[in-house]
Amino acid sequence: MRADRLPSLRRVLRDHRRAFWIWGAALVAITVFYMSFWPTMGEAMQEAIRGMPQGIMAAMGYDRMDTAGGYLNAVVYALLGPILLLVHGLSLAVRLTAGQEEDGTLELDLASPVPRARLYWERLAGVWLLLLGLVVLVSLGVLVSNPLFDLGVTLPNVAAAGLGLWLLVAGFATLAFALGAASGRRGIALGAAAGVAVVTYVFRGVANAAGVEIYADLSPFSWFLEPDPLANGFHLPSTLQLLAISLVAAPLGLWRFLRRDLLV
Amino acid sequence: MTAPVIRTRGLVKDYGRTRALAGLDLEVQRGEVYGFIGPNGAGKSTTIRILLDLLRPTAGEVEVLGQAPSQGGPAQRARIGYLPGELALVGRLTAREHLHHLAALRGGRGVERIDALAERFTLELDRPFRALSRGNKQKVGVVQAFMHEPELLVLDEPTSGLDPLLQHEFLALVRETAARGATVFMSSHVLREVETVADRVAVIREGRTVDVDSVQSLRARAGQRVALTFAQAPDPAPFAALAEIRDATVDGNTLHCRLHGEPDGLLKLAARQRVTRWTARDLDLEDLFLDLYRHGPNGADAEVPDAR
Repeated sequence: MRADRLPSLRRVLRDHRRAFWIWGAALVAITVFYMSFWPTMGEAMQEAIRGMPQGIMAAMGYDRMDTAGGYLNAVVYALLGPILLLVHGLSLAVRLTAGQEEDGTLELDLASPVPRARLYWERLAGVWLLLLGLVVLVSLGVLVSNPLFDLGVTLPNVAAAGLGLWLLVAGFATLAFALGAASGRRGIALGAAAGVAVVTYVFRGVANAAGVEIYADLSPFSWFLEPDPLANGFHLPSTLQLLAISLVAAPLGLWRFLRRDLLV
Repeated sequence: MTAPVIRTRGLVKDYGRTRALAGLDLEVQRGEVYGFIGPNGAGKSTTIRILLDLLRPTAGEVEVLGQAPSQGGPAQRARIGYLPGELALVGRLTAREHLHHLAALRGGRGVERIDALAERFTLELDRPFRALSRGNKQKVGVVQAFMHEPELLVLDEPTSGLDPLLQHEFLALVRETAARGATVFMSSHVLREVETVADRVAVIREGRTVDVDSVQSLRARAGQRVALTFAQAPDPAPFAALAEIRDATVDGNTLHCRLHGEPDGLLKLAARQRVTRWTARDLDLEDLFLDLYRHGPNGADAEVPDAR
């Protein structure tokens, strides 16, 4: 019999196989679909942007939409990618902690001879891997669109943007995961993590529109988007900033998870 | 004497301001089948979850297999089989997949017994959970608790949802398990479910041990409800005068009473007249509870009798 290592991680991947492929297919389709507009919209877009208030366009990151890379960045990396992946990632992360604790499906796993901490890390690793898979699929969608619609992006830069997107989304998902593990309450964890994501997203937009970039720099969305990895490639400081969300949240969630009453 | 497999002393558990356990004392010996009886909300599941280290006690001592659950960790849980009171099985996973997952969490232990146990309980392993009835889900719970042949089984309301035939099969499995030397700790709110297998029974109420006794003597104390129908209306007075008779009333030609102890005196007294119909029913736990609550041992502040 084959030794079954990492049973909790394998279980997470298995349970979410279907959802993964559905989300993956949707993300690829949406990416290619939006990129297919570029050749016909490029001209019109430049016209439209000139007629819009500059502050708001800058706030939304649309001021560079008159280039292919800017359009790709604004639509996929600044808007649809993070939003769709966050919707999926946060609910996935919360389900694997508080959600399964509340519906009781976590009980036998917790009563098994697996340390609580191991359960926690394996499940969190499952979240990260599933999100990585989805980001890879989005990136493939971009790479497929690249020659078709003449987007002019390079593979290393798409990889750098994908890394940033992954760390951003996984960071918020880790926050949700940690809150779920710490509280055992699905609603609290999802509400708080989604609240932080929405507030920091809007905050960045408002701060940019108002021209106070110092404030905008407080938002993780800025950490991901300001270095413009699609144009400039890998950027170490912002990568570390994004990673820090998880490195702070995950141990704190575990600390509480090891000490509290479960399934109450 | 070997150390008890489960020992709690003055175990207290508070949920916020609610006191779920108020000083619970238990001592379960190796190889025993131990019934843990109490009405819903008495603290049975809370106790069991403390034994599994899902909950941490507010105060008091608890030891399982010689160690506090919070210290015992995975090595301790590897020696325990656990059946939760409300087993949650959702989604499109099949019983087989889930049981293999649970075995994998135990390093693969028990995987070879899945098929035999499933067959014994007529569990269809390849249907998804959402297509399983409550009884079938309970079978999954039974299989996973027993498959790795643990030395301690902690079963929370194990027979709920099983039909009578399977209850019988389950109790046979409990007996076999005890026969190979394992200890079985099982809770129920109905004494009937445990009385045929349990060596001893602890009765708990409002988070305290009210009584610990062997099933036989508990049964004797609970007594029987007896109805004797005579050819003519009887006089209840001489019956009520018997020491082992309680609550003697007459309804038409029928005498109703409760018998605690030997029926000899009652039968001899009744046989002086013509008896046309006779029923005697063991009192179930609800009656026993009412009795324990009314008459003690000492009401709410009951001392736990040392029952060995």
